[in-house]
Amino acid sequence: MLVGDGSKAGSSGSSSLRSRPSDDGDAARRRKRRTTLTRPWLLLAPSLIVLAGLLLWPLIQVGKLSLQDYKVKFGGGEATFTGFDHYKDLLTGELLWKTVLPNTVFFAFACVGLTVALGTAVALLLNRLGPTWKLICSVSILAAWAMPAVTGTYVWIWLFSPEDGMFSQLADSMGLIDAETTNWFTERLPFYAIATINVVHHGFPFVAITVLAGLLTIPKELYEAGEIDGANAWQRFWQITVPTIKPVFLVVTILSTIWDFKVFTQVFLMPGGAGENPDVYNLGVYSYIEAFAKNDYGAGAAAAVLLTLLLLAITVIYIRTLFRQGEEDL
Amino acid sequence: MSARRSNSLAARIGLPLSVAALLVFTLFPVYWMVSTALDPKALTRGSDLLPSGISFEHFDFVFDRGNFGQYLLNSAIVGIVTILAAALLSLFAAIAVARFKFKFRTSVLIMILVVQMVPLEALVIPLFIQMRDYEMLNSLLGLSIVYIALSLPFAIWTLRGFVAAVPKEVEEAAYIDGASWFRMFRSVLLPLVGPGLVATSIFAFITAWNEFVFAYTFMKGNDKYTAAVGIFQFFGENTTSWGPVMASSTLVTVPVMLFFVIVHRRLGSGLAAGAVKG
Repeated sequence: MLVGDGSKAGSSGSSSLRSRPSDDGDAARRRKRRTTLTRPWLLLAPSLIVLAGLLLWPLIQVGKLSLQDYKVKFGGGEATFTGFDHYKDLLTGELLWKTVLPNTVFFAFACVGLTVALGTAVALLLNRLGPTWKLICSVSILAAWAMPAVTGTYVWIWLFSPEDGMFSQLADSMGLIDAETTNWFTERLPFYAIATINVVHHGFPFVAITVLAGLLTIPKELYEAGEIDGANAWQRFWQITVPTIKPVFLVVTILSTIWDFKVFTQVFLMPGGAGENPDVYNLGVYSYIEAFAKNDYGAGAAAAVLLTLLLLAITVIYIRTLFRQGEEDL
Repeated sequence: MSARRSNSLAARIGLPLSVAALLVFTLFPVYWMVSTALDPKALTRGSDLLPSGISFEHFDFVFDRGNFGQYLLNSAIVGIVTILAAALLSLFAAIAVARFKFKFRTSVLIMILVVQMVPLEALVIPLFIQMRDYEMLNSLLGLSIVYIALSLPFAIWTLRGFVAAVPKEVEEAAYIDGASWFRMFRSVLLPLVGPGLVATSIFAFITAWNEFVFAYTFMKGNDKYTAAVGIFQFFGENTTSWGPVMASSTLVTVPVMLFFVIVHRRLGSGLAAGAVKG
């Protein structure tokens, strides 16, 4: 709408330019106005079209799909409207409340807690190191960050794999387990403990580097004052560091929560994670299995919508935090 | 100052111990991956810290028998298409939001933030159906299009900072010299934003290179896998040949790590800041 008005005003301006040279300045101003109105939208258009077509439109489609029974047919699918049946099945089913949601939520909270704690500890450590060791540690942190989720998961599976895995052998030689008979991937708790190590290993570098950037902004005088008042390191951390860079902690915590709620690859690739063992489903994997392994696209879509709504709620909190901080100059 | 504080015995021992623990935790998985890939007796190494020998037989195996060269090529093609499109589109969009004041600008920015939170599992179902209807499954182009969309929000958000960092006066000087907007863009803005553009592009490449869900769902032909999905085939029904799995994992991981170190230096704190804000 804006664009249309702008160009109309502009075209009449340029025709008057040709007929009456005295209006030169006026026309130029109008043309400039037209440019400032249309150019940002012209520049944005390709990106917005791609985002709308591949992110927003599918979201609408998945919502629609969750209200349908969708059958795969040659040359397109066949959809029957079923109302909220999929949601009713999902929300009244035992699997969701006893397995899927607890797995998703407890796993996410364990990962977030450990990621933020470890990341903060590492940031404090980096802050106390000399330049050489700081560089060495930073590069090693980058290596952990750069490890792709897929290959990282394979390495952790290999380390914990029954019989031949390094940790299985180690625990066996220490007499903790019998490597021949122990499989850590079949039970929910050890399965998710391994997934947690994997996710924390991949996720703490971001927290460490962000918190370190925050630590560098805290004036040294605050700590000196604290020391004079007789506060020990523990008290200085809780009463000076944490309150001063509280916004940084909020942001890394919320972002980690968003990421850890939608962990998929790290669970899906683990032995039994791709649907063979329903005990270890999380919301994302459950949705995927329903849709692609059981061909029940509607039920999968309903679970996906539930996950999206959960994440959207967290995202709203995140954006409000950003705005309340007032740091974000949108 | 920190030296004065760390005089106590606990601190003198604690600091090196913490550094050692950090280095082991971060680097051990990488070491274990590479050393298993090189170990000719990978499966029976157990808890031996050193490989039983150094050989490239697992790498030969994944290329000769596993067709892994093809998968790496597929990943590279998808990554490059993603880079080219994402860099161009995000640069334009970043200029729009960094340089112009217009109605709904804040809404656009918030939308860019929000779409990044959407879980891939919610997108993969409708996009799979859509791509099947358009017969774009098993097509590297179809996959690239999805990756362009996935990498755009972060790219726009990061580049926006780089564009905003170019002083407006430089642009105005170009206008005074009689340059048109496009001339100014080509000769002034583009070279100045160049380093940021390279860094953002590499990040888009990493996104495409690492992605699993879409590649796994869309690409089902034997010669169509991307590298991240291609590793899957070395898993057997009952036993897994960990040598080839770790060799192919190494091939997937090493380029990403190299790129990551380059990008990180370029982006400086921008990577963290960009991620914080989006």
